[in-house]
Amino acid sequence: MNRPFRLLLVLLGLAIASLAMAGQALAHAALTKTVPADGAIVASTPTEFSLSFSEPVSPLVLSLIGPDGTSRSLTRFVLTDRMLSIIAPGDLAHGTHVLSWRVVSEDGHPVGGSVLFSIGSPSAAPVVTTQSEPAVRFMLWLGKLGFYLGLAFGIGGAAFMAWVTPLPAVARAPIAGFLVLGLLSVPIAFAAQGLDALALPLSAALQPAAWQAAAASSFGRTALIAGLALLVALIVLFVPSRSGRLLAALAWLGTGAALAVSGHASAAEPQLLTRPAVFLHAIGMAGWAGALLPLALALRQPDGALALQRFSRRIPLLLLFILLSGAALAIVQVERPQALLTTPYGLVLTGKLALVAALIGLGAFNRYRLRGAAASGRANTRSLLTRIIAAEIAIIVAILAIVALWRFTPPPRALAATAAQPASVHIHTEKAMADISVTPGRTGPVTITVSLLDGEFGPLAAKELRLALSQPEAGIEPIERQAIKQADGNWQVSDLTLPIAGRWTIELEILVSDFEMTRLKETVEIRP
Amino acid sequence: MPAPFPQGFLTMKSLSLAALVAAFTTAPALAHVTLETQQAPVGSTYKAVLRVPHGCKGAATTKVRVRIPEGVIAVKPMPKPGWTLETTKGKYEKAYDYYGTPTAEGVTEVSWSGGKLLDEHYDEFVLRAYLTADLKPETTLYVPVVQECEGGAVERWIEIPAAGKAADDYKFPAPGLKLLPKK
Repeated sequence: MNRPFRLLLVLLGLAIASLAMAGQALAHAALTKTVPADGAIVASTPTEFSLSFSEPVSPLVLSLIGPDGTSRSLTRFVLTDRMLSIIAPGDLAHGTHVLSWRVVSEDGHPVGGSVLFSIGSPSAAPVVTTQSEPAVRFMLWLGKLGFYLGLAFGIGGAAFMAWVTPLPAVARAPIAGFLVLGLLSVPIAFAAQGLDALALPLSAALQPAAWQAAAASSFGRTALIAGLALLVALIVLFVPSRSGRLLAALAWLGTGAALAVSGHASAAEPQLLTRPAVFLHAIGMAGWAGALLPLALALRQPDGALALQRFSRRIPLLLLFILLSGAALAIVQVERPQALLTTPYGLVLTGKLALVAALIGLGAFNRYRLRGAAASGRANTRSLLTRIIAAEIAIIVAILAIVALWRFTPPPRALAATAAQPASVHIHTEKAMADISVTPGRTGPVTITVSLLDGEFGPLAAKELRLALSQPEAGIEPIERQAIKQADGNWQVSDLTLPIAGRWTIELEILVSDFEMTRLKETVEIRP
Repeated sequence: MPAPFPQGFLTMKSLSLAALVAAFTTAPALAHVTLETQQAPVGSTYKAVLRVPHGCKGAATTKVRVRIPEGVIAVKPMPKPGWTLETTKGKYEKAYDYYGTPTAEGVTEVSWSGGKLLDEHYDEFVLRAYLTADLKPETTLYVPVVQECEGGAVERWIEIPAAGKAADDYKFPAPGLKLLPKK
């Protein structure tokens, strides 16, 4: 074999060897120490951060994400051997910061990570609410008001006429008007509900997405039941039939059902109390309010006294429904008396209670001072009674207008519950399954609980579990934490503060046995 | 007699290329636990030299454990002065042919412990084994290694790349060996 050929062989051999090595393990620098330490709470603002690595590195990206979520890049640093010292900005706010680093080690392979530290104390969760535009909110309020008016004066009125006192055809017109108003308001409230849910502008009112969103919400059921009840009431009003009384009763009970299937109050726990309470409150309200308009019209008739008598017999029971159920709901929703004046929900309730007190006062005056006189047929008393009833109707309209505001004011109970709501994610792969919940599912200090199962829903006895949370969009490299196994078999990480909202990537590193590891990865949405 | 020009030219070029290749091939030894010989034919005896380039985040290595993959039999680890050599024996998933002898059990784990390999030092751990013909050529055989260090630190070189991923995509890839067709 001659020399050039031998050298060619050597060359070829080395080239093959280098190809074989390509893609093989490259050097990764490992972070060995940081100041401040990951997860540390420091009393005073650090002047410098330092990152020590297992081998020499040079920084690619260094950024600091502050408690308000703003990110700034750190450009002033000094490299000494394997330590990277970074000059800290002078104006660091109190709260949790993320020092996100990405470095390249000798072989050109980049590695990254994040160090979490808090100045003073960990960031508290900020209070941010998303609101749709005012026009949508107004449309929603108007839709709700029209809808309530239809239920109260329309259905209530039709039921009163069917059960208590029939009225001449001319008197049906105003009641029919309220029923039509209710029927028109249902789609308006429905569309507005969808727009509000998706935070879309008013111009998107006719888009299918808004209607689908509304149909998917619990208000979809309310709209359906209420729409049917309003239609039935309209039929009862104009098409006399033998089953008129039964249909009217169905429509009346429909008002209760419609309101009991959605809304803050119905959604509250205990459901066995709140849903029936809302039902009674609604039918009580429709029974009382609905009686007023026919009553005022009946008092102009010669036999008006009879209608008044019948109304007076029924009213105490309805009032009992309203007051008992109202009190129960208020206790569940408001939780603390001071919330009546300190929360928007409480203020709406306070306003409503003041109007209700005025309404009951007028009702009592009617009952104890005027009824006897009116029944005996004195015309001027009757006209005074009619005027007071008109005032009562006005007050009820005002009450309903106020109640429609509740749509925009979550009760103190719901505020607390929403804040504590966890963000959950489920990962299912062939090898393993994980249920991850971040509690609360918002920025600030969180606890992450993970329950592990194998791919066939059997128990997965992991030796160790590590979590890495990153947010690539915000430039946050993985924050790593070792999970601790709890007595119930779940794994938990509790020394973690998530500084900003958005889509976080959670990666699980499950050590199944000494020599076996499984990785799972998913994203989870963290609320502001 | 002086060498003719083309020969000298080739020598220069091959040397510089060799230097370049050498520069690339030495880099991997820096950070991961790797095998010295990274390809071998199935149905042959293979000498595995595990290269341990550093401790666990600075701590000295005190124990090296190797999980013997299925299909690798007749394992004979090399004793190492200053280290206690231990093996764990167990049953294989099936009986493998070892030069005509069906072999259904043998060493499944090897460990060297009790030594002290400082982070700034380098060492190698050696075993000899037979790569059975049941192993599939043109695939990579991964040999999971657990490195235990002073102060309870552990580095687990046990990650096996999923389909379509390279060892480089992982933080703690298991040392790999490309299997070649039987000679």
